[in-house]
Amino acid sequence: MGAASEEWLVRRVADGDTVAFEELYRRTSPWLAVRLRRRCADDELVAEVLQETYLTVWRAAAAFAGTAIGGSAVGWLWTIAARRLVDAYRRRTREANLPPTVFGPEIVPAAEDEALRDTVGDEMGAALRRLAPELRQVLQAMVLDGLTVRETAVLLGLPEGTVKTRARRARIALREALS
Amino acid sequence: MKHDQVPAELLERYAAGDPGINPDELWAVEAHLEGCASCRERLGAAVQRQSPATTALLARVGDRLAAEIAISTTMPRRRRGQVLGRSRWLLPPGLLARLAMTVLLVLAALSLDLVDQQGRGEYPSLVLLFAPVAPLLGVAAVWSRRLDPAYEFVMASPRAGLYLVLRRTLLALMVVIPALAAAGWAVGASPARWLLPCLAFTAGALALGEVVGLSRAAIGLAAAWVIGVVGPSMLTATSPVLLAPGALPAWAALTAVVAIVLALRRDTYTGLRSGH
Repeated sequence: MGAASEEWLVRRVADGDTVAFEELYRRTSPWLAVRLRRRCADDELVAEVLQETYLTVWRAAAAFAGTAIGGSAVGWLWTIAARRLVDAYRRRTREANLPPTVFGPEIVPAAEDEALRDTVGDEMGAALRRLAPELRQVLQAMVLDGLTVRETAVLLGLPEGTVKTRARRARIALREALS
Repeated sequence: MKHDQVPAELLERYAAGDPGINPDELWAVEAHLEGCASCRERLGAAVQRQSPATTALLARVGDRLAAEIAISTTMPRRRRGQVLGRSRWLLPPGLLARLAMTVLLVLAALSLDLVDQQGRGEYPSLVLLFAPVAPLLGVAAVWSRRLDPAYEFVMASPRAGLYLVLRRTLLALMVVIPALAAAGWAVGASPARWLLPCLAFTAGALALGEVVGLSRAAIGLAAAWVIGVVGPSMLTATSPVLLAPGALPAWAALTAVVAIVLALRRDTYTGLRSGH
């Protein structure tokens, strides 16, 4: 099973192949766990989301495998995991009636980063570094993680209006930085 | 970083959960990892070195999954194989019940027609009158967030969109049309008179559903037909002009136009935000 692609593994999983499932888990779960842990400080919640994600994969692999279009199995995994994470936050917020605490302490761009900017010459990177942390969070959830405004709001514990405003401000800031 | 590998040092810091990675590098790492199997493999090794907490968590979840899966493989659902697994995606919950209800309604119309024919035979055939809107009950359930707990999940699958909608609609028609044909044959309502209107209404509901949501579209069209055509026909005991053979070219044209609209706006179904 050395060189087989993740897509092939998912197709095997659809046929009920537990060995393929274990291999898929072995290959993708460290990546998914690290990515989730960087978005959620609560390990118990991460474990829960991880478990639900792979159970969904096990049960619904046929849906993915049945597609004629193809697409990335890993991207599909992340879509499921991100939705499950948002669901978990939604549940938790409902139960505790408290906004969830997400994301570790955000780092402030250091002075040397500012100095580095010109030498690196990577305008986009520099713009991202200078972006206010709360704007970057919103951008990360929506651009990198592919979440909707509503899902982002749940994940960050913000009102939807605030998410929209911050997304707009982030866009303007980036455009200005790049022009 | 697009064609290269993530630098080892950066990968180790990422695996360790180091919060000090610059956001642009962090984003680049995450975007790269999603598309690069060999870097994911390297990350797996880095996690074992750098993060005992993650390693323990993975082992724990792995054990739980193994237990869950051992149970679900013994379930007959999986043994019946892939055909059923796939048909789950063709069949949203509620569709079968609605199709059964539709067949019952056709039978009810048929029995009323037969009673009427035994008697004076003065009313137009109910089977014929209801045939154009008969599939709508099923069509309404074809793409519904409210009825389908897996809706969001179906949406996320690569097959989502008009393709899936059409497959499910076809399935609904495959049940409803034979039932109508059988009932129509019994009361002498030839498919030639109702098949085109039936298709026009189905396609119309799908096209309108792109704008107002599928359930609302189906209910609206069915209500308009019942109030505007079925009601008056029964009250005046005359067969409606719209179902006369002369109206067929108009139905054919309408079906064609609606099908074109549906095809042009097909992307709406992929992002359908309808809450219905």
